Amino acid sequence: MTNSREILPDVYWLYEEGPDRSGMIEAMEPIPDWYDPDDPVYIPQCAYLIDGAEHSLLFDTLSPASTEHVLAELDALLDEPLEYLVVSHPDVPHAGNAPAIMAEHGAELVAPRYGDDHELYRLDDALLVGEGDSIDLGSFVVDFHEATFLDAPVSLWMSERTEEMLFPVDWLGFPHHASEQLRFVDELEHDLDGTRLLQFHGRVLFWHQYVDVDKVQREIDRLKRYYDPAWILPSHGLVIRDDALAYMDQLKGVVEEIQRRERIGTLG
Amino acid sequence: MTDTTTIELTDDVRWINVCYPHEERHEHVSVYLIEHGDRSILIDSGSFYHRTDIRTRLERATGGDGIDAIVLSHSDYPHSGNISAFRDEWGEVELVASSGSPELQGLADARRCTIGGSLEVCGRRFSFIDPPLADRSHTTWIYDHGSEVLFTADGFGSYHEPGDCDTVSSGFDDGITETAIYEYHRHNLVWLRYVDPPKLRDALDEIFARYDVSFIAPIHGHPIHGDDRRQYCTRLLNAADRIASEHTVPETPD
Repeated sequence: MTNSREILPDVYWLYEEGPDRSGMIEAMEPIPDWYDPDDPVYIPQCAYLIDGAEHSLLFDTLSPASTEHVLAELDALLDEPLEYLVVSHPDVPHAGNAPAIMAEHGAELVAPRYGDDHELYRLDDALLVGEGDSIDLGSFVVDFHEATFLDAPVSLWMSERTEEMLFPVDWLGFPHHASEQLRFVDELEHDLDGTRLLQFHGRVLFWHQYVDVDKVQREIDRLKRYYDPAWILPSHGLVIRDDALAYMDQLKGVVEEIQRRERIGTLG
Repeated sequence: MTDTTTIELTDDVRWINVCYPHEERHEHVSVYLIEHGDRSILIDSGSFYHRTDIRTRLERATGGDGIDAIVLSHSDYPHSGNISAFRDEWGEVELVASSGSPELQGLADARRCTIGGSLEVCGRRFSFIDPPLADRSHTTWIYDHGSEVLFTADGFGSYHEPGDCDTVSSGFDDGITETAIYEYHRHNLVWLRYVDPPKLRDALDEIFARYDVSFIAPIHGHPIHGDDRRQYCTRLLNAADRIASEHTVPETPD
């Protein structure tokens, strides 16, 4: 199921819940106090639509399980066809609806310039962007960046200047209850604590098991200084609009915890 | 002319070694065919880019019968790009994948294998290993107990010169070069810029202590004969150390 929320004027959060992940929380020892066994747990796919004064842009596409839903959302939210479709990386849950959206809207495909196998992902005809590249949408300007914490080599992050938004893709994801979907983190009854962040990063960015922890923590500090975002819009979590730097800082402890444990599991 | 050759690694495992050309080097985007009695099992399905070539070689290798099952390391497009086409071509082809959310990965009817577990596929036993060298979360390395071949998806790769497309590790005078290993991993497993090499070494040692390996069979590199494993691993860890050393992160200001 997909639905959406206008999080700022002309900025929309498109949401796909995916399967119930309660089992991964029930396997935790101890079970965290935010967990309610009567409320399903989701690690969603999120896409973000910016309908600027001059141009519109969609960041990621949701998964192929939501093709009809994402097309319906775009039809409902836009008066004109979508103009830019940005794929953060060519993973199925992020980019799987690109062909359908392109076919319906004729948008220009925008893809990471990083990596060297674009033709194998059918991205060789896309507008390839990275650090230093931007798109002016009129009332918003988005900047593209080399992804710092990532899975696929063909990856990018995006930020937006006017509202100081950071789109860190697979970083800063976390599970939440069905009753919390499309809520901002500051609207949750329970704080976003390390148990949620651990469940996501220990699975998706599992390679933290093998890293130099101090180096990753210094990288997080560098990211805080470089982006200093007011908003964080993750691809697999809820939107953060308050005290964003504190949540980035929280990841430093999560990396330490991943190293202390055996692999938590997989996702995807 | 279409190449219809496959390269025999063991009595029942064949390497189907298609390549993608970069400017001065090639990258394998291979698949592997396992023959088990009258059944044929494919490890990964390859890229759409090589569909005709792979299909032609599979037809020849199977006497026109095609494949009975695909065991998928992960859903990344260069590994999964021919699933639908091969099923259309050869009918009921079983799909085995490690994804816990197959509908989100476009693999809705996959039979799930659990990383850390084992399964029989077409009557042959496979174990599924948590890979220390991978990018996507649901990637599994696949160990074929019948041949003792370890299929390592994106791990253990290397780029190669255009004339070396058909060469396995033992075909080189001094093995696969550290430069080829470094270049591949620097481009494809980007997180190695943060790696602590001893932790990676320990994880690899644990796998090889548990599984006897006749060949390491990467999708993006030359198959590595079991006798060449230690040399490759030494060079891999050197390459990982170099990748990490080249990515510096400033000290946090007070």
